[in-house]
Amino acid sequence: MQNTTTSGTVLPNTTLPNIAAVPVESAAPIIETRDLSMHYGKRIAVNQLTLSVPRGAIYGFIGPNGAGKTSTMRILTTLMLPKSGQAFVAGYEVTKTPRDVRRAIGYMPDFFGVYDDMKVWEYLDFFAACYEIPERDRSGLINDLLQLVDLTDRRDDMVDKLSRGMKQRLCLARTLVHDPQVLILDEPASGLDPRARVEIRELMLELARMGKTIFFSSHILADVAEICSHIGIIESGQMVMQGSMDEIRRKLMPNREVVITLLDKVDEARQALSTVAGVQQVVDLPDDGGKKRLRADFTGEDTVLSAMMSVLNSQGVPVVNFAEQSHDLEEVFMKVTKGVVS
Amino acid sequence: MTAQSRRPFSGLLRANPVTLKELRGRMRGTRAFVVMTIYLLLMSGFALLLYVLYSAAVSGDGSIQGGQIGRTLFTGIVGVELFLVTFIVPAFTSVAITGEREKQTYDLLRTTLLSPRALVMGKLLSALSYIFLLLLAAVPLQSVAFLFGGVSEGELALAFVILLVTAIALGTIGLYFSSTMKRTQAASIATYGFALLITIGLPVILVVLFSVIAPFFLALSGTSLSAPVQAALTYGFGLLISTNPLATAYTSQYLLVNQHQIGFFTQVVSSSGVTLNLPLVSPWIVFTVFYLLLSAVLIVASIRRVGRIEGAP
Repeated sequence: MQNTTTSGTVLPNTTLPNIAAVPVESAAPIIETRDLSMHYGKRIAVNQLTLSVPRGAIYGFIGPNGAGKTSTMRILTTLMLPKSGQAFVAGYEVTKTPRDVRRAIGYMPDFFGVYDDMKVWEYLDFFAACYEIPERDRSGLINDLLQLVDLTDRRDDMVDKLSRGMKQRLCLARTLVHDPQVLILDEPASGLDPRARVEIRELMLELARMGKTIFFSSHILADVAEICSHIGIIESGQMVMQGSMDEIRRKLMPNREVVITLLDKVDEARQALSTVAGVQQVVDLPDDGGKKRLRADFTGEDTVLSAMMSVLNSQGVPVVNFAEQSHDLEEVFMKVTKGVVS
Repeated sequence: MTAQSRRPFSGLLRANPVTLKELRGRMRGTRAFVVMTIYLLLMSGFALLLYVLYSAAVSGDGSIQGGQIGRTLFTGIVGVELFLVTFIVPAFTSVAITGEREKQTYDLLRTTLLSPRALVMGKLLSALSYIFLLLLAAVPLQSVAFLFGGVSEGELALAFVILLVTAIALGTIGLYFSSTMKRTQAASIATYGFALLITIGLPVILVVLFSVIAPFFLALSGTSLSAPVQAALTYGFGLLISTNPLATAYTSQYLLVNQHQIGFFTQVVSSSGVTLNLPLVSPWIVFTVFYLLLSAVLIVASIRRVGRIEGAP
C-alpha cells in the first residue's frame, strides 16, 4: 500500500520543526517586501514583488534560474538598492537602516566565498570579528559552531582542504556567528552530492528548531517539499503564489483523487462510489496487469475517504489497493509555471 | 582588554579584523621569512658589490676615502629600497579589494557590520606594516655606512621618511584603483602605470622641459635670465622635483650635505641689478605634504567607493 496517508501532505511529522507553539500566521512577518522592483538596464529582474515570511518559518523561495531569486535576496541583504518598493527584515527597512538589517541576518550566497589561505577556526574568527564580537568570546563561540556543523576535528585544517560539503557547512556556521534571527540562504544545496545535501537539510531543520527563520532559494524542489513550512513561487520577477504548504496545495489541487484497484465488480464499485457525498466523478483508468482500476475525484475532508472505503466494503467489492494520489511539489511547480518559462 | 593593554602594538593591529586576517595569511609558514631573507641577501650582495667596486676604483690612486665609500653604499641601498618599494607596494594593494571581489568574499564582508572604512584601512595597514618591516629590516644594512662615516643620522632619517611616504602614496594609489576597478589585473596595470609615471615619467618630462625651456629663455633674455624668471624657474622645477621620490631624495640630500639645509631657507637670485630673496623649502617637505594629502584624498575616495551600494543612483 502506498500513499495511504490521508492528509495529503508529504511532510513527515517527525522532521517538522516545532513551530506550532508560535502563532505564526498572526505574528508580524519577519521578512516583508511591498511592490519591490529591480531592473538591470532594460532587463527586469524583480517586478512588483510582494512577499511575506512569517517568523519561525522555513520559507522555500523557488523558481527557475533567472527568475529573480538572487536579486531579491541581494536587496534583502542590503547589497543592492531596489528601484522601487519597500523591503523589511526584522522590522527594519533595508534601504534606511542597513546596519540593523545586517545585524539581524546571516547570509549565504550561492557560492562558497571562502579564503583558501586560512584555517577553519581563523575563518570563523575573522567573521566573528567583523560582527564586532569581542575577542574573548570568540574561541568558545567557534567551538560551539564547529560542533553544530560537525567540523570540530577540522578546526586547524586549512579551508581549501575541505570537501564541498564541508565548505558549505562551514559557510553555514559563518552565517551564525552573530546569532541572527533570520538566515537568508541562496541555493544552499546546489552543487552538493546527495549525502551533503541531506546534511545541509538536517542542519536547516536543526536551526529552525533553534528558532531561526530560514529563507532559502532553490530550484531543487525535492528539498523544498521535504523541509519547508512555507513556499513562494517566483517567475520572471513576479510572485506567482505563496503561502504555507497546505494553502498552496489546497489552492492548486482543490480536487483530491483516489485510485482504486480491484479484481472484479467494477460496475458495482462505480455505482457505490458515486453515491458517497463529496465524490464528484468516477473515471475508468486503463487496466493494470489484468486488474481493473478506477479513479474517484472528490473534495472535502478525510471522512470522504473512509466513507468510500466502507461503502466498497459493504458491497463486497474485492479491493486490492486504495491509494490517494498525492501530488508532489514538482507537479505543482510545473502546473504553476507552465507557459511562463520560455 | 587585559590582552590588549599588555600588547599595545599587536593590539593596534588586532583591533582591525581585516589587518589581523591579512597578516595571518601573509606571515603564515615560511614564505614571509623566505621573502625577507631573499630581500636582505639581495641587498647585502648589492652593498658588497658596491663596496668592492668602489674600493677597487679608489685604491687605484692610493687614498681611501671612507666617507665617500659610506655615502656610496648608503645611496645605493636606499636607491634599491626605493626601487623595491615601487614594485612591491602596488602588488600588495592593487589586489586588496578586487581580490575580495574575485574570491567572492566581498559581498560577505559587505553584509557584516564591518565598515567600508575598516575594510580599506585594514587592507592599507596590513600592506604597509609588511613594507615597514622590510624597510626596518634594512636599517642595519644602511647603518653599515656609518662604519665608513660620511653619512649623518639626518640623512638616514630623511631616506626613511621618503621611503615611507613613497610606500604610503603608492599603497593608497593601488588601493584606490583596486576599489574602483573590477579586476585585479586592470587595477595592477593602472597602479604600475601611475608608479612608473611618478618615478620615471616625471624625470623624463623634467629633462625634456629643461632642455627645451632653458635655451628658449636664454635666447629671449640674451646671456642671463632676469631675476623674476629665475625665481619662477626655481619654484617650477622645485615643484616638479618634489613629485618624484628619486629627485626629492637626491636634492634633499644634496641640500643637507652641501648647504646644511633640511627645512626652510632662502636663496638669493640676482640679475642686472635686481636682487630677490627667494624663501625656499627643502623638497622632501613639499614631497611629504603633497603625497600625504593625495593619499588622504585617495583613501576617502576608496572608502566612498567601497561603501557604495549596487543600484544606487
